[in-house]
Amino acid sequence: MRVEVRLYATLRRYALSVADGVLNVDVPEGSKASDVIASVGVNADEVHIVMVNGVSSPPDQALAEGDRLGLFPPVGGG
Amino acid sequence: MARGNSLTLLDKGEIPERYRRNIGTIGIDGQKRLLEARVAVVGAGGLGGTIIELLARQGVGFLRIIDGDSFELVNLNRQLLATERTMGVNKAVSAAARVAEINSEVETDAVPAMFNEDNATELLSEMNVIVDALDTINCRLLLCRMAQKLKIPLVHAAIAGFTGQVGTILPTGPGLEKLYKTTSKGIETVLGNPAATPALAAAIQAQEVVKLLTGMGETLSHKLLYFDTELNIYELLNLG
Repeated sequence: MRVEVRLYATLRRYALSVADGVLNVDVPEGSKASDVIASVGVNADEVHIVMVNGVSSPPDQALAEGDRLGLFPPVGGG
Repeated sequence: MARGNSLTLLDKGEIPERYRRNIGTIGIDGQKRLLEARVAVVGAGGLGGTIIELLARQGVGFLRIIDGDSFELVNLNRQLLATERTMGVNKAVSAAARVAEINSEVETDAVPAMFNEDNATELLSEMNVIVDALDTINCRLLLCRMAQKLKIPLVHAAIAGFTGQVGTILPTGPGLEKLYKTTSKGIETVLGNPAATPALAAAIQAQEVVKLLTGMGETLSHKLLYFDTELNIYELLNLG
């Protein structure tokens, strides 16, 4: 199945081939968010927020065809 | 000038000149609610300085300003209250002085101490809204736990580089643990904090405070407004 992975801020360095940090990847049916994070080579420790279709989700959230997976690093400055 | 004078005018349906440009948006009742409100701003740096400036001009009646730090040269690029004259001055004390220059109707309580578990309840009790303008993740998580325990809405923001996030945490909703694993600092250690990013996030926070206090509009409760101005991204995310 195909899912869209959207990398934010510093995580975009894991996808330098695309300027906007948006990747379309083919992954096995039943893949979880954490599986996709590994498949695109992002260090899971740097991912603090996982959004599936715009909703906060746990890393073990199962994905479906066409899902949008947003990955966010921690933003803590003031 | 005591805020009682403005409240007396507003009670009679008259508009104090200093709030005239507010009234078309929030009305006389809204202005009264702001003047009668008590807000704690935790942190008076990049976010806090702008929030305090805006809430003082908007006419929030009581501001408790909490920050144990003093201004340093490295703050000058973005912190509204950091000037060459305020170097070495405590941030909370400096903020209270700025509020007195802008709007002497606003009562302030400058607390020149770091927010921590020991002083949290005393500093936050009896507030109508708490504003998270801190700069470490561990402190933000503590502030959120305390705000939810005390059943007081918390307006959160954090920034780094071109990126920022703003959301309102309600006592019964999801907390900041949805946004952070346990850690002390975020990507600001790499990207730094440029001039405009905290001002942008702080303006949205101040508007959230106005909405919470007046009951107007839709707040960012259970949501996170995430922006990345490098790519013109503004996304409203659902915290569940």
